[in-house]
Amino acid sequence: MQRFSSMLIRRRIALVFLMAALFSALLILRLSYLQIVQADRLASLALEQRLRPVPLLAQRGVIYDRNMNILAASMSFEAAYAIPVEVENPEEAAQKLAPILKRPVEEIENRLKRPRAVEWLKLRLTPEEADAVRRLDLPGIGIQERPLRFYPNGTLAAQLIGFAGIDNQGLEGLERQFDEYLKGQNGMIVQERDATGRTIPAGIERRIEPTDGFDLVLTIDKVIQHIAEREIEKGVLEANADWGLFLGVNPKTGEILAVAQYPTFDPNEYASYPADTWRNKAFTDYFEPGSTFKMVTAAAALETGVATLDSVYVDPVTLHIGGGRVSCWRAGGHGRQTFVEAMQNSCNPVFAMLADQMTGPTFHKFLTAFGFGSRSGIEFPGESPGAIPKPNDRILRWANVGFGQGIGATALQMVMAASAIANGGELLKPYVVKEIRAPDGTVVHRQAPEVVRRAVSPKTAEELRGILRSVVQNGSGRQAEVPGYDVAGKTGTAQIASPQGGYLQGPKSNMASFLAFAPYDDPVFAGIVMLYRVGQEPSYGGLWAAPVFGRIVSEVLEYMGVPRRDAQDRVDDGLVRVPNVINLDVHDAEEILLAHGLTPQAELSHGFIVDQTPPPGARVAPGTRVILTFYEEAHAHDVHVEVPDVLGRSMKDAAMTLARAGLRIQIEGTGFAVEQSPQPGTILHEGDVVTVRFAPPQSARQD
Amino acid sequence: MDIERRLIRNLDIPLIATTLALVAFGLVAVYSATYSLSPADPFVFVRRQLVWALVGIAGAAGILLTDYRQWGRLARLIYLITLAILAAVPLFAPNIQGASRWLVIGPVQLQPAEFAKLAVIVTLARRLSLGPIERPADLVGPLLHVALPMALIVLQPDLGTSLIFVVILFGMLYVAGTPVKYLLVLGATGIAVFLVAAFVSSQGWVPIFKEYQLRRLFIFLNPYQDRTGDGWNVIQSMIAIGSGGFFGKGLFAGSQTQLAFLPARHTDFIFSVIAEELGFLGAFCLLCLYLLLLVRGIRLVAYAKDTFGVLIITGVVSMLFGHILINVGMTLGVMPVTGLPLPFASVGGTSLVSNLLGVGMILNVHMRRHKILF
Repeated sequence: MQRFSSMLIRRRIALVFLMAALFSALLILRLSYLQIVQADRLASLALEQRLRPVPLLAQRGVIYDRNMNILAASMSFEAAYAIPVEVENPEEAAQKLAPILKRPVEEIENRLKRPRAVEWLKLRLTPEEADAVRRLDLPGIGIQERPLRFYPNGTLAAQLIGFAGIDNQGLEGLERQFDEYLKGQNGMIVQERDATGRTIPAGIERRIEPTDGFDLVLTIDKVIQHIAEREIEKGVLEANADWGLFLGVNPKTGEILAVAQYPTFDPNEYASYPADTWRNKAFTDYFEPGSTFKMVTAAAALETGVATLDSVYVDPVTLHIGGGRVSCWRAGGHGRQTFVEAMQNSCNPVFAMLADQMTGPTFHKFLTAFGFGSRSGIEFPGESPGAIPKPNDRILRWANVGFGQGIGATALQMVMAASAIANGGELLKPYVVKEIRAPDGTVVHRQAPEVVRRAVSPKTAEELRGILRSVVQNGSGRQAEVPGYDVAGKTGTAQIASPQGGYLQGPKSNMASFLAFAPYDDPVFAGIVMLYRVGQEPSYGGLWAAPVFGRIVSEVLEYMGVPRRDAQDRVDDGLVRVPNVINLDVHDAEEILLAHGLTPQAELSHGFIVDQTPPPGARVAPGTRVILTFYEEAHAHDVHVEVPDVLGRSMKDAAMTLARAGLRIQIEGTGFAVEQSPQPGTILHEGDVVTVRFAPPQSARQD
Repeated sequence: MDIERRLIRNLDIPLIATTLALVAFGLVAVYSATYSLSPADPFVFVRRQLVWALVGIAGAAGILLTDYRQWGRLARLIYLITLAILAAVPLFAPNIQGASRWLVIGPVQLQPAEFAKLAVIVTLARRLSLGPIERPADLVGPLLHVALPMALIVLQPDLGTSLIFVVILFGMLYVAGTPVKYLLVLGATGIAVFLVAAFVSSQGWVPIFKEYQLRRLFIFLNPYQDRTGDGWNVIQSMIAIGSGGFFGKGLFAGSQTQLAFLPARHTDFIFSVIAEELGFLGAFCLLCLYLLLLVRGIRLVAYAKDTFGVLIITGVVSMLFGHILINVGMTLGVMPVTGLPLPFASVGGTSLVSNLLGVGMILNVHMRRHKILF
């Protein structure tokens, strides 16, 4: 049986032995590579797998109007969530949750079974619902606070503010433009979790606190905004227009006071409105302005000397120019007219001639100087630069520009051009954000009024103001006339370019507009009304847009405390205008109110008034009770107070600020605070006087 | 009973000790890997595994009572019964996760393929001991002998176990004195056949291998190409092992194991559990124990009194070696993912019992190493 060589077998067994040893050695080598060489890297991979960050959402910054009324804020609301892997009995849990959350049982059960780390069952719970869910105390079901962007005034200034999405991201308007400031920095909780997503009880937990967003203080005044929105809505409905807008600014500073648009939308539920209503057309859309643009042509003509106040023109009825024709809107024309009358009549051939006489290159210079053809630089997404012809464009093209055709301008550009005329000839940079404040209240950025350039001389501006006043007094703008306030402006009835070329024909083919400011000799408010595709005949701007402006400006100036000419406190309707007694001593306030036929109601006999109801400017029946609010009434005399910083503030602002601090104000000059004495930070007794010197923005810049 | 006492004296204590140490090591690892699976009864897996270990030890003791030379006479019968059972598996076995490997008899599940390995070792040893392989034609018989049961197992499908048949075949042919060049040609042919089979399967022409089998077979070459799918197991295993470091995270405290990142942790990846919790130190000790087992087995070959015995020991050692190399290599990311259990450690009763029976077979051969002198 010795057929096998035992020597061979022995040799081979030795080799098998070596093989086993060799392979074992290789395994050990690989093992030591993983556990010694790669140990740190793999250990950190292991940790990474177990740590899953849960974000702590930052509170988005608040948007205030200029008087610190909240326009947009983030609120917390409670939401119910489920961690499906931790839910022990989905059927039973769904049965219990359904009546509380008011959702079908099947829907909740399906959600509880979804293979997700976290499933949101319902957002925006009422406190009662949240409590009920908490009381159930179901495993895997929880309540968490989540921030929600809230716009307490609904549609107010919707196109300007825009809106933020569910994940705290600015989507439109200022919410988008200033997203970097508003959104803040999310924090996180890092927790160790196992492969199925459950937290490990004794695991690592690290918390990185979120940084809340910065607040914006806008130049918008909620009251003016509200007036503008109410009136533009009325105007659009009366004129049967497709839509309309109003843009109002402070012509001395460039602050936007109101941007109203109708139809509008509610940013709280933006998704249920057409996206077209979201756009802030005053900034992002440009139009052929039509006759309102004659303001600019007239300014250029006066400045260059092509026309003077006394120039006389004969209406050619149809002007043949540059191979085309310009016809007067009035059959038979206006005959012989002065420059001022041509403006009042809005006579197209005269302005075509003026443009032609100035020649394209010169007129182009003025257009540019007034800000046309370029963005104003307002901090808003999607601002349009408009469109203007080249300096050497055809004669007919420039002749058309003379009366506002063949040029594209935004409502913002028009209002800033009118403001330049209103403020003595300087083009200002418009702005809508006054201040950016850190979460702790410190101001990190303050926008001061900024002069871009001088567009025309003060003399031209003054002459033009007179002309524009006469347009309202005697010309096409009569419907904007307001008792006691001298409105100056220019009407426009612009043809609307058709997408097919040429202009729209037939009904609803015009844009009625009115560009104006008031009071004409010291304007504090400038604005434009635009009604797109007016559905009434005739569709003149003087007929539909001018009255809207008149209603707005009347209320706004009164609200701003501008005295009516021939200061008549009792007007014909028998109502009394409530005087402004804020920051006055209670005795003085009571005296003034009594003199106006009103009944003061003050709870204390000494101290300063910080607020009054009804507000200044309101028109009420004689004998109406005016409630006066005091600052820290009890300690009027021996309290030490720190002088606040009012530099850069408007007069009203400064007065309010000092009144809140318990100090009295002595006013010198007009405009914005440039100097105060004593200096901010000084400690005074309550009731002491702080002298504040005010100056218009130009000199504020020099300081 | 002089003979019996002498035989008992001939039991190889180091082999028994190593085996029992491995079983104990395995039970601890199983507890660590499974106690969180059933919080109500953390010992349920360990208890079951312990019962199987006792069954296996009893079985091995039973084997010692017979003389291994008797088995040779029964070889033909054993072989036919094995084939019959393997052929019956697809008919009776329930389909569990796409494979029909288990026969369910009352409360126990048996994996016939595990026992088939032992049967093939014994019967092949018998066949090879009849005469040396001197011509290529002599290879045909042994090849067919292994190929038949292996084909049935491939069909279950159980690629891992059929791979072990190849290891056993080569180990036994080599020790049986087959010329090396025959083995080289055989190996090359085998690889070529496998590649052709893999190719025609991947093209969908002939469904020899399922697509997932092929993907898993090759995923270890680059697990990151499908890190959340087929590569997940390998990556998690390497992370678990590597994060264990030199000293480990402590018994029952392996974060990847206990937090369920490690899949199949109590079966295929039990080695990863040990390496994570006990570190390089523990894993090294375990590998040394395995090496000791293999070396002891190989050492005992030299004492066997006949070729049949030599080949039985060789077969069992080859089987254990194949399992250890492929399983540990898989957890370390250097071998295909085949789902082979780690001997004495992975949860699985049939595997544990058959490995213990294998050790019993070695002990049997060794115990009866002396020729009867009277």
